[in-house]
Amino acid sequence: MILLSGVGKTFRGRDGGEVQALTGIDLRVAPGEFVAIVGASGCGKSTLLRLVAGLVPVSLGRIEVDGSLVADPRADTAMVFQAPTLLPWADVLRNVTFPLRLMGKATRETEDRARALLAKAGLAGFETKLPRELSGGMQQRVAICRALLQQPRVLLMDEPFGALDALTREEMSLELLRIWGETGAAVLFVTHSISEAVLLADRVVVMSPRPGRIADIVPVELPRPRDFAQEAHPAFHAAAQRIRATIYQRGAAHAA
Amino acid sequence: MRLSGPIAIVTLFLLWEGGVRAFGIPEFLLPAPSAIWTDAMRIWPTVLNHTLSTLQTVLLGFAASVIISLPLAMLIASSPAISAAIYPLLVITQSIPKVALAPILIIALGANELPRVIVTFLVAFFPLVVASVAGLLAAPPELIELARACRAGRMQQMLRIRLPHAVPFVFGGLKVAAALSVVGAVVAEFVGADAGLGYLIQTSMAFFRTPLAFAAVVILAMMGMALFAIVGLIERILFPWSTSAQANIPAA
Repeated sequence: MILLSGVGKTFRGRDGGEVQALTGIDLRVAPGEFVAIVGASGCGKSTLLRLVAGLVPVSLGRIEVDGSLVADPRADTAMVFQAPTLLPWADVLRNVTFPLRLMGKATRETEDRARALLAKAGLAGFETKLPRELSGGMQQRVAICRALLQQPRVLLMDEPFGALDALTREEMSLELLRIWGETGAAVLFVTHSISEAVLLADRVVVMSPRPGRIADIVPVELPRPRDFAQEAHPAFHAAAQRIRATIYQRGAAHAA
Repeated sequence: MRLSGPIAIVTLFLLWEGGVRAFGIPEFLLPAPSAIWTDAMRIWPTVLNHTLSTLQTVLLGFAASVIISLPLAMLIASSPAISAAIYPLLVITQSIPKVALAPILIIALGANELPRVIVTFLVAFFPLVVASVAGLLAAPPELIELARACRAGRMQQMLRIRLPHAVPFVFGGLKVAAALSVVGAVVAEFVGADAGLGYLIQTSMAFFRTPLAFAAVVILAMMGMALFAIVGLIERILFPWSTSAQANIPAA
């Protein structure tokens, strides 16, 4: 379980002044829950993810994972970045096993599990290819396999499909849901896309900028397994409308 | 593509030969390639000895550059404080003309191989350090963040991310260092040696044996090209992803 209470983050700007990136973030994510975070650019979504990852220290408040304070990156937390961030010198298999090897947790069956996971992601036969020999969508699939191989309790995804074309993006969303369903990891999924957030998540956290804070938390009352047919469901529209209203209302109020 | 290099060289020699014959240039000014060849062949065991002597200095100096530059580059890249302390010293070593330093080193260390190797090293190592540091520092921040997310410390980030990422840059530096090693060895031989192609050039010119001096120059050029090619070959065999990464740099 992820628990954020009263989390705030200030960065020191280049001119020496302080920039408040996040303030008063309270959020509780249950084990196995899929929570999407949407909001305009600059609302601190990515910063929030980095705080939970332990890559950046909080300025205020506390973040706990399974009851222990997050101070450093944790072995049971895995992150997927916007770019695939694969090692260009390592083949697909060694990329997927890289975190476990780095943490000294690779065992004899690590490679077998990696092969199985790659096969599940439609990458069977690509194990010995270098990243540059793969398409953007395949590279991101490798990055997701790399995160899942760590069998994380917490999976942090920072616009993982942001760099992909619309078709690949939809295909990958469903694949992600299918694979995630078997892991039981709690997911924090940052995205720009409202429909992607609604399609994927149990709850959608809507953030507003300057300083970044939670404007609304929208539950998505759609049955699982999800698919694109549900985009026609009234609950889908209701959730998407509520999110949209929150984002644009805030934006309008700010502009006024 | 692959043939255009040799064709250019052969064309150059043909123009050279033709030009010298057509204009009747005296041999002590500019000997024709054929004259260079016959002169060098007449005493080829001597030429071979000088070549091997220079090659030894070049290889030792180049090896010293590699052995010292890579750890030095890692040290510089590991912290801004160390970098700020070491870089000025390196620039000083580069600002001193090696020709000026060579006689001092020879008096201090004796007229043996050591000062020649040191001069070769001093000429060759700097570009290698600079290229390696650039490569180590150019590791994409997102890869560093990935390593940090996997609980990697600074040492692991250096060895598992920065070092492999620097390989294309290191090889760029190695190619420059290989060519400069030849320059360094000849500079050292000019000042203090009783063998080597640099020595051969000096003694030949003292006796107006211009073709022999030119032969030494041609051999030096071939030595530089061969070293350059070998470094490139090693890169292609051991780090096939590196050559393509380099090819991508201008495209990006």
